[in-house]
Amino acid sequence: MVGSKQSHLSSTLLSLPVYVLALTMLIPYYWMVSGAFKPVPELVQNPPTFIVESPTFNNFYDPVGNTQPGHVEGLFQRFTDAPLRFGTFFLNSVVISSAITILSLLIASATAFVLAKYRLPGGNILFIIILASMMVPWQVMFIPNFLTIRDLGWINTYWALIIPALPKAFVVFFLRQYMLSIPDELIDAGRIDGANDIRIWWQLVLPLVGPALAAMAIFVVINEWNNFVWPLIVVQDTAHATLPLALARLNSTLTGPQTMGVIMAGAFLASLPTLLVFLIFQRQFIEGVALTGVKG
Amino acid sequence: MHISTAHHKTNALQRYLRIAQLRRSLPLYILLAPFLGLFALFVLWPISNSFYLSFTEYNGIRSPAFVGLQNYMRLAEDARFITALGNTTTYVLLVVTLNTSIGLLLALSLRRQTVVNQICRVLFFLPAVTSAVAMNVLWRWIFSGEDYGLGNTIRGFLGLPPVTFLADTSWTMPILVLMALWGGLGFTMILFLAGLQSIPASLHEAAAIDGASERQRFWYITLPLLRPTLLYVVITGLVTAFQVFEAVYIVFRSVESIGGVLDSGLMLVPYLYDRGFNRFDLGYASAIAWVLFAIIFVLTLANLYVGRERNA
Repeated sequence: MVGSKQSHLSSTLLSLPVYVLALTMLIPYYWMVSGAFKPVPELVQNPPTFIVESPTFNNFYDPVGNTQPGHVEGLFQRFTDAPLRFGTFFLNSVVISSAITILSLLIASATAFVLAKYRLPGGNILFIIILASMMVPWQVMFIPNFLTIRDLGWINTYWALIIPALPKAFVVFFLRQYMLSIPDELIDAGRIDGANDIRIWWQLVLPLVGPALAAMAIFVVINEWNNFVWPLIVVQDTAHATLPLALARLNSTLTGPQTMGVIMAGAFLASLPTLLVFLIFQRQFIEGVALTGVKG
Repeated sequence: MHISTAHHKTNALQRYLRIAQLRRSLPLYILLAPFLGLFALFVLWPISNSFYLSFTEYNGIRSPAFVGLQNYMRLAEDARFITALGNTTTYVLLVVTLNTSIGLLLALSLRRQTVVNQICRVLFFLPAVTSAVAMNVLWRWIFSGEDYGLGNTIRGFLGLPPVTFLADTSWTMPILVLMALWGGLGFTMILFLAGLQSIPASLHEAAAIDGASERQRFWYITLPLLRPTLLYVVITGLVTAFQVFEAVYIVFRSVESIGGVLDSGLMLVPYLYDRGFNRFDLGYASAIAWVLFAIIFVLTLANLYVGRERNA
């Protein structure tokens, strides 16, 4: 008893550096958020202010604009060639990442269902091919895929951003493993009731694999929201840019400390949605990651 | 005569059965079709096409010209490729070693379910859900060479002179590794926590009753039982680290070079991108992609071999 109490105390002491390290994880976030709300004079000040002295929304929208020293155009005054200015990228990212998440889960779950519950000729070979394709890094595929998109005339379209992202081998693999645990009797019962295989998939199987679908949805939506390389290659205009792409362009066109607040405002807006979703669904998130790790 | 009629009959029956079978499986093919069609077009075809392109000279406009192994032979003499390979190797070794060991330490010290521990886990995991581009533009500002960059302000507190972080080649690798650890530790920690949870507590209790010290229990119970998790962490860590792109492209890219000052941050994927999409040397870029694939493949197999279950 005494021994266990002692080890408890010593482990708390040992944990102290871990707690401090956990807090330092927040420093970059603090710097991003405070930078987004600093007026220009505070951005160029040395030493920098650690608590923002005169917080402002000017980095998002500055009514004074470029006309006076100490002011620059805000985030939402830039990108004049996009219909909704910076809002365009927000909308694009929302549309693209939700479309990919819904459609990729839909088609992957259909394939996973067939592979898990039916013995089709060549079904096993198919599964092995899908599994093996997970070994190939995306860098191998992105040059030919760029050529395909170009030949389809899809450069600067939503199609280019959505369609190639839909076949996700990992999701098929994960859902298939999960569906193996559904009892065959249940599916036979569905068939006796006269349901065809498509209805069995839609009405019987999908509701049963809810947790697995949720884990995959979280995984896909975060990855797609943050995806950068593919949009970088297939989108050259402003109207179809996603948030990470627009942010990277902002970063390469704006130099100097005066406009750092504008870039931080963009970074803040680009990272806020996933952070909020994570904080709300924390437990599901962490369980989802753990699940993929255990199964994968 | 008799035999041939019977043969004819079984043929018709077989055909009938085959059609019936096909009709019954039609819904299955409908379920399979969307994924398989897209999978063939955007995964299988590009893999084979990329392999072909790696043996050609191709600028994206004129049709590819077959050049045999020339691209791969050029790679062996390409100084920038060798720099990229060297930098990537250093980076991967540092990141995977530190990320795995620190991630395990974090999981071990945060394994008990207390409120503080749960808050800490969330804090460590935050970067895993944050946009890499957003974080990288932030790092670029933090490591600004000016005195008011946060990095230099902190150096000032410690009484050190300011440095131009992003223009000083000796800082490139430490900054890249720091960014990777900050971004990746939380993910690794969660995987280890899940692994630790799967170890039955009774094993530890039994060992403790037998008089095993905490250290002995770690080496003889925890670590061996964590082997599958460890293997998974190392393999995914290797694959992720080899593919580093944004950190170089956003933070270190300078006007004249994608790899930062003197290519000190040049890595395989940024170099592949540079060759493919800045110079449209698509055959050569494909060859780089296949070298990358080969490296990842061999390392994964090696890991699986080293970490395979041994029968006691």
